Amino acid sequence: MISNPLALIAEITHRCPLHCVYCSNPLQLVATKAELSTEDWVRVFQEASRLGVLHLHLTGGEPAARTDLKELIAGGHLAGLYTNLITSGIGVSEARMAGLVEAGLDHIQLSFQDSRGEPAGWIAGAKGHTYKVALAQKIRQLPVAFTINLVVHRQNLDHIEEMIEFIEQLQPERVEIAHAQYYGWALKNRDTLLPTPQQLENCMRAVEEAQLRLAGRARIDCVVPDYYARYPKACMGGWGRRLMLIDPSGQALPCHAAGVIPGMQFDNIREHPLEWIWRESAAFQRFRGEQWMPEPCKSCDRRTEDFGGCRCQALLLTGDASATDPVCSLSPDHHLIETARSAAKSDAAQVSWSYRTSMG
Amino acid sequence: MPRPSQTSQPRLASGCRWGTHGEQQVVLFPEGMIRVQGTGRNILELCNGQRTVQEIVATLSERYGTADPVKITEDVSSFLEVLQRKRIVDY
Repeated sequence: MISNPLALIAEITHRCPLHCVYCSNPLQLVATKAELSTEDWVRVFQEASRLGVLHLHLTGGEPAARTDLKELIAGGHLAGLYTNLITSGIGVSEARMAGLVEAGLDHIQLSFQDSRGEPAGWIAGAKGHTYKVALAQKIRQLPVAFTINLVVHRQNLDHIEEMIEFIEQLQPERVEIAHAQYYGWALKNRDTLLPTPQQLENCMRAVEEAQLRLAGRARIDCVVPDYYARYPKACMGGWGRRLMLIDPSGQALPCHAAGVIPGMQFDNIREHPLEWIWRESAAFQRFRGEQWMPEPCKSCDRRTEDFGGCRCQALLLTGDASATDPVCSLSPDHHLIETARSAAKSDAAQVSWSYRTSMG
Repeated sequence: MPRPSQTSQPRLASGCRWGTHGEQQVVLFPEGMIRVQGTGRNILELCNGQRTVQEIVATLSERYGTADPVKITEDVSSFLEVLQRKRIVDY
């Protein structure tokens, strides 16, 4: 039996004032003129709620680049969804943020690139750190749950303790220390982003210390980056099992990066009901369940826990979307990960990034 | 953060609220939801930010008749402490 989706990730725009070198957006960004209308989005939120979705994650790009963000939040809220805004805060005035909370926003996840302004600007390819700090202080005064997300990688992990202390002062209830995930833009920059084993060990120790120190004040989540894990992550909670993502143009994807998989046809919410896309569309059925699995996944006890890992990562690293995710230590392609890890040991003398581009 | 005291007034934390998932009562929070059933649900439904732990224990003792109030206080406190650490409850 096909379960209902629990969360809808609404990538409402790919426009963004930042150009982060590890952006999770696809390399092929959706143009502004192709974006869904307010009415289309609100209809999708209502359909999602009827389908059993509980959480709505409004993301981008920078979701605040859409002038109708308040209407979208109200639409999600009135549809009965738990609404979460994933934002860099850039382009959101304090008054506008207060208005978004009034419209029914349940939770704000604000991203920081660093504790220090200069390296933050270097990673984001844009200034804005000081503004984000001021906005974080304002958010803390609003009746809304507050999470700070910090993406970590080789270029900032040497001062992880300082970054945690910086976040602590902004008093979020939750902290996400997120290791960069190597798809799209981050994969282009992997050789300069992948942490060393020593950095990773130090990071996990610093997080554990902070978890003890902040117990009851802030919950800190940090997952070992999958390049250093023994087994792959259960990407999206399993293909077509828990989550669905709608891109700015209305295409429904089972995973952020699924657009890279050759031969995939994504159906659009302008043409099909959400429920049909979830239950019947080819894209959502492609890797649902276990039929597609090769060995060693097919006979592995962990197949119901990690679902063979990430299909997009398998494609990006092995050229075959049906392969076992190579981050798995049991994968015949695991040497690809070992090679990438070895490359992370020696630091490049000079860092040259590929910044995420703006809209064409 | 210590355990709740007798005079603590527990409530769902900011950004946490009741919802339904099919037939089930759930508590929604930023990164997910928990299904709340049985005793846990009975406790949490009494946590409105007004009632004290002492009042919650008295209500539950009355409801369960013969149950030992000391045991109920212990159960309520440890339940709330666990949820407080997850940032689902505040007191």
